[in-house]
Amino acid sequence: MNPVWMQCKAEILRIFRNPYFVFWSLFMPILFYFLFTNVFNVGMGDEWHAHFLMSVTCFSVMGSAIMTLGIRLVEERTKGWSMFMRLTPLSDGAYFFAKMVGQTMIHIFSIIIIFTVGSFINNVTLTISQWLLCGMWILLGSFPFLALGTLVGLMKKVDTASGVSNVIYMGLAILGGMWMPMEIMPKFIQSIAQWIPSFHFGSGAWEMVRGNAPSLVNISVLIGYLIVFVVLSIYIRRKQEVVV
Amino acid sequence: MEIVISLNQITKQFKKQTAVNNISTVIHKGELVAILGPNGAGKSTTLLMMLGLIEPTNGEITLMGDHPKHKRNRERIGAMLQEVSMIDALTVMEVIQLFRSYYPQPMAFEQLISITGLQEEDLKKRADKLSGGQKRRLSFALALAGDPEIIFFDEPTVGMDTSARRNFWRTVEEMNKKGKTVIFTTHYLQEADDVAKRIILFNQGKIIADGAPIDIKRKLTASSVSFAANDFISLEMLATIAYVMKVVEKDGRVFLETDHTDEVLEEIFARKIKVKDINIHHGRLDEAFEQLTRRGGEFVESSLDAV
Repeated sequence: MNPVWMQCKAEILRIFRNPYFVFWSLFMPILFYFLFTNVFNVGMGDEWHAHFLMSVTCFSVMGSAIMTLGIRLVEERTKGWSMFMRLTPLSDGAYFFAKMVGQTMIHIFSIIIIFTVGSFINNVTLTISQWLLCGMWILLGSFPFLALGTLVGLMKKVDTASGVSNVIYMGLAILGGMWMPMEIMPKFIQSIAQWIPSFHFGSGAWEMVRGNAPSLVNISVLIGYLIVFVVLSIYIRRKQEVVV
Repeated sequence: MEIVISLNQITKQFKKQTAVNNISTVIHKGELVAILGPNGAGKSTTLLMMLGLIEPTNGEITLMGDHPKHKRNRERIGAMLQEVSMIDALTVMEVIQLFRSYYPQPMAFEQLISITGLQEEDLKKRADKLSGGQKRRLSFALALAGDPEIIFFDEPTVGMDTSARRNFWRTVEEMNKKGKTVIFTTHYLQEADDVAKRIILFNQGKIIADGAPIDIKRKLTASSVSFAANDFISLEMLATIAYVMKVVEKDGRVFLETDHTDEVLEEIFARKIKVKDINIHHGRLDEAFEQLTRRGGEFVESSLDAV
């Protein structure tokens, strides 16, 4: 029994058994997709169907990266579990690695489910390589949001963490054009969006369903945010440890 | 005997409060030690420092020759802490198997199951859905998952009913017989007395006594002679009686603390002191300990100095 593998398995099981994950990361995005393509917004054409499918998939993965990871980290600390884990031979690194593997597996699962359901609802046709590349993009593009999740995970109380992360999550979704296409947003929101990671996250996938490649700006903004969040997260964690 | 834990002039300060104040002691392999003291005496802080979960402000702690956090130590210790709730969304079986996977030589699965005392159908339950007592027993099994050489328990029996307590201590004594070192904190004198072979008594961040339970008890249980107070008796005069360690007036009675009640009574009669309603108290353990807690060490200091 390899401890790291056992830990990864445990993390995956824990996310799957979390009813909030199933509701927020699978049910809600699919419901959104159905409503905004079939009920409210008919006649926008295939391109919109593929575009919006990418939006809700990004929305789902972003949510689980920030909320599932962040809130769970706070919970584990407030319940004394993280402290208890430090007494076992499993290193902090392995524990963290297992969390990331668990999250990534869950993201792959969400992407497959939402892509599949979405393509059935609206008969979205993309080439195999487009499906794969979009999936890969969303998976890799989720890293800055996982780092943001670890930042949320540094908060003292579960209530604060879930409140704050909800606001961040919804803000990122709206400003990033995941609910409504950027083109119909007011000008000032469009200019803010250029600085928002979620816009560049979605943008990469939107480009790909149109047959283009993600722009260099998309990639560099996401990498920039990843670095900022990781550095901040490590810095704050160090500071908190000194206090104890 | 091999030293497994050594504390050298340890002090721990939290902001302005000194939780542990310059303590030194060593614990040998195979000991069964109770860290006893009232709430806030620094017991848990000391235990957490031994485990490397908090760093001392001053002084040095070694666990089996290394820093407590050393990976080699992690494989050889087990602990049950206060206020750790169970991991969510995993079943009892899954948690036990997960913990066994962390250690190079885990304890047998069946043995851990029998330690939890859980029924077959409970093993498939989610660990966080167990009752309070069942969770404590599962925590106990998790502490033993790696078949540790040193086991730490922080107030282990809080929340256990009498029979669970009995089972718990029986298992602990068996472990100790197999050569495992056991260290636990408690604020029940009776528990420390029943189980431990050595008691380290804490008060206000200091070790105020350290030894076999029988010696600690003697130190904690001074007897006293008391009688109704009246205006003709001067407390100063009473204090001059041989063997009287302390004179206290409380609730209209005068108490003479002593460990030789017969001699004190003889002297009172010899001096023809007019006393009424005489009583002799042989300090019961709990009472004495409660006294220690209430007076913040004053009682113990006076009686300990006299011993």
